[in-house]
Amino acid sequence: MFASMGAPNFQEMIALLQRYWAEEGCVLMQPFHTEVGAGTFNPATFLHCLGPEPWRAAYVEPSIRPSDGRYGENPFRFQQHYQLQVILKPAPEDVLDRYFASLESVGIDLQKHDVRLVEDDWEGPTLGAWGLGWEVWVDGMEVTQFTYFQQLGGLELDLIPAEITYGLERLAMFLQDTRTAFELEWAPGVAWGDVYRESERQWSIYNFDVAPIDVLMRRFGEHEVECRELVELGLPLPAYDQVLKCSHVFNLLDARGAISVTERASYIARVRNLARRVAELYVESLSLAEPAG
Amino acid sequence: MPSLLVEIGCEELPASACREAQAQLREQWLPELGEGAVLVGPRRLAVLVPEVPEHEPDRWVQGPPEHLREQAAAGFARKQGVSEDELEVRDGFLGVVVPGRPISEALPEKLAALVESLVFGKSMIWEKNGLRFSRPVRWLCAKLDRATVKVEVAGLQAGHLTYGHRFTGGEVELSRADEYVEVLRAAGIEPVQDERRHLILEGLDAIGGWRDPAGVLEEVVFLVESPIVLAGRFDERFLELPPRVVETAMQSHQRYFPLEGARFAFVANGGDPNVVISGNERVLEGRLEDAHFTFERDVAKGIEKLAEELGAITFVAGAGSFAEKAARLQELVAALGGGEASQEAARLAKADQGAELVREFPDLEGHIGAEYARLAGFPEGVCAAIEEHYLPDSADGPLPQTEPGRVLAAAEKVDNLTVAFALGQRPTGSRDPHGLRRAAIGLCRIAVEGGLQIDVAALAQRDHGLLVQQEAEVTDDPADVADFVFERLEGVLDVPVEFVRAARAGGVTELGAVAELARTLAAEASSEAFEQAYVAFDRANRLAGRTDGAAATLDPSLATDEAERALIEALGQASPQIEAAVAEHDFHAAIAAAAELGPPVDRFFDEVLVMAEDQRVRANRLRLLLDVRDAVGALGDLSQIPR
Repeated sequence: MFASMGAPNFQEMIALLQRYWAEEGCVLMQPFHTEVGAGTFNPATFLHCLGPEPWRAAYVEPSIRPSDGRYGENPFRFQQHYQLQVILKPAPEDVLDRYFASLESVGIDLQKHDVRLVEDDWEGPTLGAWGLGWEVWVDGMEVTQFTYFQQLGGLELDLIPAEITYGLERLAMFLQDTRTAFELEWAPGVAWGDVYRESERQWSIYNFDVAPIDVLMRRFGEHEVECRELVELGLPLPAYDQVLKCSHVFNLLDARGAISVTERASYIARVRNLARRVAELYVESLSLAEPAG
Repeated sequence: MPSLLVEIGCEELPASACREAQAQLREQWLPELGEGAVLVGPRRLAVLVPEVPEHEPDRWVQGPPEHLREQAAAGFARKQGVSEDELEVRDGFLGVVVPGRPISEALPEKLAALVESLVFGKSMIWEKNGLRFSRPVRWLCAKLDRATVKVEVAGLQAGHLTYGHRFTGGEVELSRADEYVEVLRAAGIEPVQDERRHLILEGLDAIGGWRDPAGVLEEVVFLVESPIVLAGRFDERFLELPPRVVETAMQSHQRYFPLEGARFAFVANGGDPNVVISGNERVLEGRLEDAHFTFERDVAKGIEKLAEELGAITFVAGAGSFAEKAARLQELVAALGGGEASQEAARLAKADQGAELVREFPDLEGHIGAEYARLAGFPEGVCAAIEEHYLPDSADGPLPQTEPGRVLAAAEKVDNLTVAFALGQRPTGSRDPHGLRRAAIGLCRIAVEGGLQIDVAALAQRDHGLLVQQEAEVTDDPADVADFVFERLEGVLDVPVEFVRAARAGGVTELGAVAELARTLAAEASSEAFEQAYVAFDRANRLAGRTDGAAATLDPSLATDEAERALIEALGQASPQIEAAVAEHDFHAAIAAAAELGPPVDRFFDEVLVMAEDQRVRANRLRLLLDVRDAVGALGDLSQIPR
């Protein structure tokens, strides 16, 4: 339906969304340099949503979830997909209208489609975080998760942010009317599958079959220790990187089937404890910092 | 009298929050405001009261007791803003009648308090120290006839505006309270939930052949404000998936209604029907294709291979893997007298725990395993047993319909109970994370209603032995599993608990037999035969049960009295009769046989001195009474039954 009207390709769609949110006052950030399961883990969300300062940002984030891979064979499951993450802190009163306008900016006619907000409560147990919100359906397709954060790192928030997370492949599949992500046009003449199918195959082999369990176990412990030391030294930003590394190593161990159900809970609690200590230190460091300007 | 409309405009509320609010508006708002309608939908909670009293009721403010008039009247009157001679006396107290305020004056405060009083199971804030609600409140509309009520809640001012459909309705002015429903309908909203349900049902019926096995209709009523019922189709090749997988993909993810063949119905909240249908068709096909992909991988592996891999999947930490669970189930099934089909089913019952499709559809465990067994060509008895072995999955849910299914379902429950008890994870208070009470009730029902013989104590002991052999981290002796199950039996049977408690101590251990014994005792409790049996048990038990020094065995040659010899003879006849009748579960006959002991016991107590001087005679008489008690005791511990 859109092809004739010139649906944006993948990169155009991202550009349109970024332009829209830049005009809404968002700082356009770039993906973080450490593997994260979701854009929420990027410090531009997790740390910046703490403390009393308003903040608006938008950025693309590769979401790395080792257990979700299917060797590039299942066109609906990937160990890596892309999110566009938008943070509006505090959430303006008309935040939903602004979000809906962003859908219009990529060519969705809100009157023609059935756009719905369906209850979806979000919880990030490794981050000690939760919020309430929705998944946004367009004609039954979930294209966005929308969350009002209530707690991060176990801390109550000074300003309640809205987190808007677009699933870029899903949104693009909707816009381009393709059945699977593999068929998406990324750029003229280049399909999403051209870029990522082989990568899915190789990473699935790594994640499920060959990632070295003993090395990963050791690394988890090392990152945990390093995180604590960095907290002691009063360096929340590098310490937070170690939280992310722990979290990713945990996800890999999980994909390797190296963690039993009971151990799972204790690994998650270990990461959450680190996240909480880093969040507390970060907030403390904000209140000690020189007032801006 | 004026009409009143109060509307709380929200960002999309979950269906559960709508229902929570509906109950509170009905039970807390209407009694305060007057009879009226509660209108609830995802974007608005409203109360419409057609006739509001123009004044609040007058209020009696009680002051000091009358006898303290001199000391306290002046102060009280001043505080109330009246002169002292305006005070009245009621029930010995001074006081003043404060006239109710005009409703227009009282409402702002009252409505603000009502809005703030709404509570939700899950709630949030959207501004620090702001209102706590299920989702953000974005507007308030409050009209008393034509006047806008100046309500303010957490910085939000009520106005005369409401909002229609999010994308097609926009802002709407409400000039009079009683026009609310018409104004919203004109703006594309159906605010009356019952009317929405009616529209949805009408739409579904017009399409025809719809089903709602998971019961999503009640949720859908609160997910839309402008319901349009549409139908779509999907590729027929997905009909090769287990039908419940297709249903679950439709219902739990998308809240669709399955139709006959490769079709589905759904309720949209707006949009161009053709566009919306084709979008939803694509989404469902994507989900089904994903499920199909997973299904084919599982089937390519096959149920035997899945079963072989169970060693790698933990059942419960401390109690080994699902492979070990399957091994225990096979032993328990054999002990339950299960045949070949249930043996085979026990071996394969947990195979689907390793299936990718079960990871996607966890509620379909058992069902998916059964489908995979069918595809692998196993006999239907095996497949049905795998399918049914989680039943009954609720206190009054359906039971397994096949014999192998009953046997495997019983083994499953015995093992779940024994493992939890052996690991020291008994349910406490309201905490029952493993659903053990439900399992025990299920076991009772399989025995009582399903007619399966289940000796819980023996099975739990056997299972305990297996756990020890398998080197599970057993911390406790699970001997109390049987007690736990019998306690549930008290609730399952429709007889007073005392009869169940009595029957548990009788000569049968198997669940169904204990239940039957308890029922027979209760049914015959007022019969003459029962009375005689009870007398024999009770008199023998009262004396001999509390006295030491009984002989190890009865020696008839020591009997000196006629009454004593008569009792020995009666016992010699009744005892094997009772025993045989109990063994045949003919409890009626057992009571009749036991009743024969009543008169000789009475006579014995009338004529014989039990506590004889001669120590050997005394010990022998105590033994005789104990033997009488034990013979009748095959019917249970009758002393539990109140007379």
